[in-house]
Amino acid sequence: MTNGTTNKDRELHPGSPAPDFSVPQARSGGPARLVSLFGSLNLNGEVVVRYVFDAGDPEYHITERQADGPLASITPFVPAAAWYERELRDQYGVYLIGHPDPRPLLFHDNWPPGIHPMRALPEKIPWASRDYHFLEVQGQGVCEVPVGPVHAGIIEPGHFRFSVVGDTVLNLELRHFYTHKGTERLFEGQPADSAAVIAESISGDNCFAHAVAYCEAVEKACGVRVPPRAAAIRLIGLELERLVAHIGDVGFLGNDVGFVVAHTLASSIKECLLQASARAFGTRYLRGVACPGGARVNPGPGEIEELSRAVSESISKFTDLARITLETPSVQNRFDSAGVLKKEVARDLAVVGPVARASGIDLDVRRDHPYGHYRGLQFDVPLTHYGDVLARARIRIAEAVESARLIVETFGTLPVGGVAEPVPSRGPSQGYAAVESPRGELFYWVEIEDGRLRRCHVKSPSFQNWPAIPFAVADNMITDFPLINKSFNLSYSGSDR
Amino acid sequence: MIIDILEHSLRERSPLIPVQALLNTCEGSRMPDVNAALLTPDIVRRVTEVCPTPALAARGEAGQLELRLSYGECIGCGRCIEVGQGALVRARTFPWTGVAKEQLVRRWDVGQKIEIAAIPASPDDGRKEIYAILGRALNIRQLDPGSCNGCEAEITALANPYYDLERFGIHFVASPKHADMLLATGPVTRNMAEAVKAAYHAMPAPKLVVAVGACGCSGGIFAGSYAIVGGVETMIPVDGYIPGCPPTPSMLVTGILEVLKRCVGKRR
Repeated sequence: MTNGTTNKDRELHPGSPAPDFSVPQARSGGPARLVSLFGSLNLNGEVVVRYVFDAGDPEYHITERQADGPLASITPFVPAAAWYERELRDQYGVYLIGHPDPRPLLFHDNWPPGIHPMRALPEKIPWASRDYHFLEVQGQGVCEVPVGPVHAGIIEPGHFRFSVVGDTVLNLELRHFYTHKGTERLFEGQPADSAAVIAESISGDNCFAHAVAYCEAVEKACGVRVPPRAAAIRLIGLELERLVAHIGDVGFLGNDVGFVVAHTLASSIKECLLQASARAFGTRYLRGVACPGGARVNPGPGEIEELSRAVSESISKFTDLARITLETPSVQNRFDSAGVLKKEVARDLAVVGPVARASGIDLDVRRDHPYGHYRGLQFDVPLTHYGDVLARARIRIAEAVESARLIVETFGTLPVGGVAEPVPSRGPSQGYAAVESPRGELFYWVEIEDGRLRRCHVKSPSFQNWPAIPFAVADNMITDFPLINKSFNLSYSGSDR
Repeated sequence: MIIDILEHSLRERSPLIPVQALLNTCEGSRMPDVNAALLTPDIVRRVTEVCPTPALAARGEAGQLELRLSYGECIGCGRCIEVGQGALVRARTFPWTGVAKEQLVRRWDVGQKIEIAAIPASPDDGRKEIYAILGRALNIRQLDPGSCNGCEAEITALANPYYDLERFGIHFVASPKHADMLLATGPVTRNMAEAVKAAYHAMPAPKLVVAVGACGCSGGIFAGSYAIVGGVETMIPVDGYIPGCPPTPSMLVTGILEVLKRCVGKRR
């Protein structure tokens, strides 16, 4: 690997490294889980780096470090920080001493060096040409298989570099961020009460989770209490999004092992739910439903009943389909033991969501850091320890059942009243929120001044989970990669932003 | 097992939506339409103020005031409908899909309370055209130059038993080298710029290109970002535009058929 830093970077950041960093301890013992790591500019224009950890308390643990010079990297002892620190360097030009991989993350070969858009943006960024070096795996019979960014299906772009011997994968290296859209910078200066549209465009199939996480962060910063009915509508939306995502995923898993009937039936059930959502909320993917202060849509009793019935019918069809899928020997044969993600690896990389729960990590933001209508609600968080494709499929099936139950139950006890509160304009304030999206923990951090965003940081579960995929793929057949990748079902755009 | 599956398939009624019920519909798309009779200068001022993209714009002085709605830039956020006092409503039908760029823009004379430009003819059942041009074999390659995955989710739905795009002889293929049409979603990011060009050059003639979604049509909410080159047309020539954020499957079907209709016999 080459060292991607230039002397110019060093010149920009003279001075000595920051004092050693100590990771907070979790209540259950051992180091706390890294939730996010990001920079922002304080009111004096200096870079402040925030380290967010989950120590097992309802609130997250946030440590701040001023970055007026190079910082000591925490990646050598917190491996989960690797991509965050590379992003920090790209966005803010903070040099990280001791980081094992100093290559650029966000900016590809046609970007000139020295562009740090969160700090200063030149009028025009000239086109350039740089080199990027992949890890070279050497040895007798080792071949490289480059795949992407343009893939064979209707999916997002990303590059996978396999090193194989025969059809066994020795090493997989990811190169992503093809869909990097500068979204965090785009938030800056936008009115806080209307920027949910940007959050909704970060990950199209999880857009409601993004909108809710954004809104909750703004509400915390501005001290707004969401009316109970709006909080319940948000819960219904979040669980509906999870239900639709999990049903689709289980179908796609069947498709990837040639069990096409599962895919066809699952896509039918999913479509039925999307159409019911369009009738109840006016939108198939729940865009434009959440806004800071509450919700913009208030479904009437007839619409509630229809959606509730569609959910009940769908889940009964889906459990039937899931049973048939998992009982089919050819499916079992492919799902079982494929793409094992070990618990230790998942823990070191701070993996979240269904992927973590399939590898024995008991983690769910809804239960551990309850927000909105989830406070005081009882529900099951499924957990298994096998960490293979089958485990991830089982987790999704069990979660879909629980989501459907929560939707129907919440519809039955929907609080009455208004659905939106005004958001007051305040001086400098900040807030964060975390939401359990279908892919796992989604974290938003906002800084607001006079009603406008100064900073909005988005940690998507995909950003956290992508680095775990190479560990699950190693030692498997390369032909199982699409299946393993699908069982993680990560968002490229959510990660690239 | 196989008996279970057969039983399942026999029990289910076909949910296939007939072509006539599909074309021009847009339920769940959130796209706006204008009720010209209720337009006033005050409403025009309000709706153009709240629009987060340049989709809604006013032109001219009082007396000659004109409202311009560019569907290619509209992300369907619905804020104009909230403040529009009935002059802006949700579209019930949506024929502005698969059209040429200039047809994406509609204009109203606010003083006269009438629409200025003519509405494009709504496509009828496009099956005949596909048969005529391509002998029931249109191969589409979907390309994501930077989308949020919203358009991909809806394009994927085209294969489900409700829409069943294969009934028109339309298939999705795995390589641009096999494709008659490129369905490009999302704004072109700087990181994808080269790959977009390469995919286009790999296609055989007639190289039909359709820009999908607000981002594909204009860059959408991402227009102006440092990491974006722009809409699809900033990199490769575009034959038709399908607006929406994201466009619904019915808007996609209507749009794809409309592009075929408009590009009959077209040669590059």
